[in-house]
Amino acid sequence: MTQETGATAAQLKGYSPPGKPTLTRCRSPEKETFTCWWEPGSDGGLPTTHALYYRKESSERVYECPDYHTAGENSCFFNKNDTSIWVNYNITVVATNTLGSAFSDPVDVDVVYIVKPNPPEKQTVTIMEDKGWPFLRVSWEPPQKADTRSGWITLIYELRVKLEEENEWEMHLAGHQKTFNIFSLRSGGKYLVEVRCKPDHGFWSEWSSTSYIKVPDYFHREKSVWILLTIFSAFIFLILTWLLHMNSRSLKNCILPPVPGPKIKGFDNQLLKNGKSDEIFSALMVSNFPPTTSSNYEDLLVEYLEVYVPVEQELMQEESKDLHGGCLKCERSTSDSDSGRGSCDSHTLLMDKCGETKEEGRHTDRASSRMLTEAQRHQKGWEKDTLTYAHGDMVSPDMSNGRVKTWPSVFSPLPQYSSNPLDKQSSLEMAKQHCLSTSSCLTQPGHSTKEALGPSNWDFCLGNKQPHLLHPQTQVGRQLQAHSEVNISNIGRKQAPAGLQSPALRSTEYVEVQRVNEEDLVLLQPVVSGCGRIEGYPQMPKGKDYSKVKGVDSDNMLLLQREVMEEDWCPGVDQEINGGTGNCYTSSTVNTTQKPTACIHTAMPVQGDMALAMNGYVDTATMCTLPTC
Amino acid sequence: MSYISFAVLTLVYMELSMRVVTAPICAYGQAGCHAPSLADLFERVIQQSSRMHGISSDLHSELEQYFFPRKNVLGKHKCHTYGILTPDDKENAQRLGREQLTDVILSLLAAWSDPLSQLHRSMSQDQNQNFNDHSYSKALEISDMVHELREGVAIMAEKMKLLGVLGNTMGYISPESLVPSSAFTFYKQGELNSVDHHDLLYCFRRDSNKVKNYLQILKCTILPGLDC
Repeated sequence: MTQETGATAAQLKGYSPPGKPTLTRCRSPEKETFTCWWEPGSDGGLPTTHALYYRKESSERVYECPDYHTAGENSCFFNKNDTSIWVNYNITVVATNTLGSAFSDPVDVDVVYIVKPNPPEKQTVTIMEDKGWPFLRVSWEPPQKADTRSGWITLIYELRVKLEEENEWEMHLAGHQKTFNIFSLRSGGKYLVEVRCKPDHGFWSEWSSTSYIKVPDYFHREKSVWILLTIFSAFIFLILTWLLHMNSRSLKNCILPPVPGPKIKGFDNQLLKNGKSDEIFSALMVSNFPPTTSSNYEDLLVEYLEVYVPVEQELMQEESKDLHGGCLKCERSTSDSDSGRGSCDSHTLLMDKCGETKEEGRHTDRASSRMLTEAQRHQKGWEKDTLTYAHGDMVSPDMSNGRVKTWPSVFSPLPQYSSNPLDKQSSLEMAKQHCLSTSSCLTQPGHSTKEALGPSNWDFCLGNKQPHLLHPQTQVGRQLQAHSEVNISNIGRKQAPAGLQSPALRSTEYVEVQRVNEEDLVLLQPVVSGCGRIEGYPQMPKGKDYSKVKGVDSDNMLLLQREVMEEDWCPGVDQEINGGTGNCYTSSTVNTTQKPTACIHTAMPVQGDMALAMNGYVDTATMCTLPTC
Repeated sequence: MSYISFAVLTLVYMELSMRVVTAPICAYGQAGCHAPSLADLFERVIQQSSRMHGISSDLHSELEQYFFPRKNVLGKHKCHTYGILTPDDKENAQRLGREQLTDVILSLLAAWSDPLSQLHRSMSQDQNQNFNDHSYSKALEISDMVHELREGVAIMAEKMKLLGVLGNTMGYISPESLVPSSAFTFYKQGELNSVDHHDLLYCFRRDSNKVKNYLQILKCTILPGLDC
């Protein structure tokens, strides 16, 4: 009654039976003893006592916890005598207060599976060296309580390492061994090492106490070497850079050789770009041209060449400035990179560009000049000297075209010719033929020249006594044949060239008609100059006088036309010209248009089918081919 | 095709040139075979028993998923090997002596050979399909392992006797006297169901642990070394 009253009174006060306790965990450190902890429930406001009861497997007998204190509060410690392995314990905790008691849920425990050993003990960390490189050797002992010596417990170990300033640990599983080596240490670093262990089937122990170790600064030696190496390599690099800079140009030339550009002696690209053509071409003037030292004028004396000019034959004409100009235009318009070669040398060029020139064609000039150039090309010995030489007379200093022309002289070996003047007719004929042959040979660029022509394939279809027509090579000079004067009369006589066939004359070279002598012979000279240059040495070459064909009259006469020149009047010349009042040097049979600046036309027998170019040039090449001008 | 033929030729050549020849191991040191040392034998046996225990633990935990957690409760039933007296304490185990310990090990292993194969058969016939392929293969594996381990321990015991490590006083108690004749039916509760499997595995897990532990004690007793 009192009890009930007390209980009721207690209940009235708000007390209650205790709450249900719960077994939190049971642990065995060495598989020989174990401890269970519980969590009490609410005590209901009244003093509550707890009791732990257990029952062993396959036995109904209930035992109470033998030791409540060793393991602390709310614990039960089972000593060795009370501990059986491989036996299932059924444990229950009971909380009791005056109002009642509460039973916890039973827990089945097999000690084998609740082993959590103590951390490893006697942990040592030492620094050892392996060929100069340090490493950590960590060694430890198993926890004292765990009997691994008898084999009762088998532990595996694990350790972790980290630098002092790091946050993450580096884990290493050590297995059953009790030592471990750690490599790849940072010089001068301070390391923390911890070890733990676990039985085969159980829980990991806590981490052991931290061991601190400081790695000595062994990189000092190595770092200094690296520093020295870096400085040395930087020094070498600087030297190399400096050397490279010094020799950059030569190196660049060595690695990337410049593309050879046009090399015209005296040709200045910058002047060309500037547009001052006069300066450019004046620069091309060779001072020592004509050569005055070794040349023997006598040897190089150009003798007259009897020119038998059939209808379609080459015509030795004066070179007019315009022709030069036209050819200049030709040259200039074409980026002819040939050095020292007349731009109008190329057969195709002339054919293409003759339309640009406004002068009337002088096909023979072209032919001759072409022959010249062609021969020149084949002639290796003929360098720019020759050309400039030949050109020097022709070109007046103020000529716009600085290119070297080759048309002034056409040298041809005429073996059958002696130094004596030949018979006009025959010589002319032969010369013509020879010229023709050579020109025909030479007009075909790339084609092999006739052997008969010899090394110096120059058709010398020039006027007489033209010392300026220079042949630097004595060899060629020997071959320089003395030709009779150009028998322009042949032209006028409309003589068809005996046996002369219309060769495939394609080259058109320009030869300056020096003058026409009394016998109506056209004296040719390479360089056209102004008036006053009749025979003998030419005066200062001024302008180029091109005689070009104005037209062909009904009588198959080639009408030459001479265009503007520097000097309009060459009275001396005019006298020579039959009926010529113009400044042009004309042939004998000249139908000149009486104009001060007009050109004297020379009628020349021309083939009927000669095509007259628009610019007045008669392209001998068109004899056989269609005119392209 | 040329590549394929070349590859085939290469493989054939390698096969012929690098043939690995297996040398039989015999515990008795007969002629022509390489006799392992006792330490090696112990090493192998302990590894095998450890592996066996691990597989049985996995299998047991897998089975436990299909039932509401019984938390290692055997129920009111015992393991069929209860007749075999096994030391449940370190002191008891050390007091037992190496010969008897060996006997216990052999008895346990012998007692489990049959039930495990029956377990395997039973699992394959299970209609409930509670087991996946992994469980099935594991059951097969542990049944094989028990057989192998039993033979291995027997060989090791013989070697120990040869070496004089083990006395001849041990009497091999046949498990039949200690173990119920039909071990599997020991676990059977009425119809064969998964519950029986669970109990069986529970018992086997424990017994495999005992075997492993006893072997380790035996090893450290006979060959004290670094591992002990």
